[in-house]
Amino acid sequence: MNRSFIILFGALALGAAIFAGSYFTAQRATVKCCAEPADDLSWLRTEFHLSDAEMTRIRELHEGYLPKCAELCAKIAAKKGELASLFGTGTNLTAEAQEKLKEISTLRAQCQAQMLQHFLAVSQVMPPEPGRRYLAEMKQLTLGTNELMEQSMSGDTGHEHHH
Amino acid sequence: MKTDDPKLSALLRESRVMPALPPRFQQNVWRRIEDAAAPAQPASWLDSLAALILRPRFALATAAAVLLAGVFAGTLEGRQAARHDAQLNYLASVAPHALR
Repeated sequence: MNRSFIILFGALALGAAIFAGSYFTAQRATVKCCAEPADDLSWLRTEFHLSDAEMTRIRELHEGYLPKCAELCAKIAAKKGELASLFGTGTNLTAEAQEKLKEISTLRAQCQAQMLQHFLAVSQVMPPEPGRRYLAEMKQLTLGTNELMEQSMSGDTGHEHHH
Repeated sequence: MKTDDPKLSALLRESRVMPALPPRFQQNVWRRIEDAAAPAQPASWLDSLAALILRPRFALATAAAVLLAGVFAGTLEGRQAARHDAQLNYLASVAPHALR
């Protein structure tokens, strides 16, 4: 009985070791093999099965969008710096600080609108079905986090809207 | 000394004692041979399992199956992880972190 138990336990341990070893080796090899860190757009090509022509057009849009996005991001960062310095001098939320918050919100809204405009433009380059899927996924990934936060703050879980 | 003396040889043959066999000797011998040849009966399911595990063919086949299952699951997981990383790369390039 005791010998059988040791055999069974040893076999289970060996099996677990074989499984874990092969699992982690295969996982790392696959991640290493499939990773394309040099190209930010590689995901679009593989996920939405895009042609070279579509990718060229999307790359143009992407490269046109990046400087505009960076410009707005720099403005937001500058305003956040100003807000931080205002908070650093006092303990009250002054009218000036509130004004900075509004300016940051406006800039964020502009940035968000520009981003959504870019997503729309990219989706229109794709065939209809992948385009719809891309747009839905991008909206979910970029706006979904805020929605979840707002829902949790307002107490509305909004489960019926989740996919 | 002469070793081929026929008289001496006859005397030696006659003096050899043949002990009587115990009762049912032959039957007992065959029973013991059959018992030794037959596989030992495992006492419990644990013993049966242990006996099965120790069979080289079964052990090799199971190890190969576990290895293949690990490779398959790892590859699937790796593909998911690579896809997720690529998606994050794209997202990081188009959506500033402050907006997400």
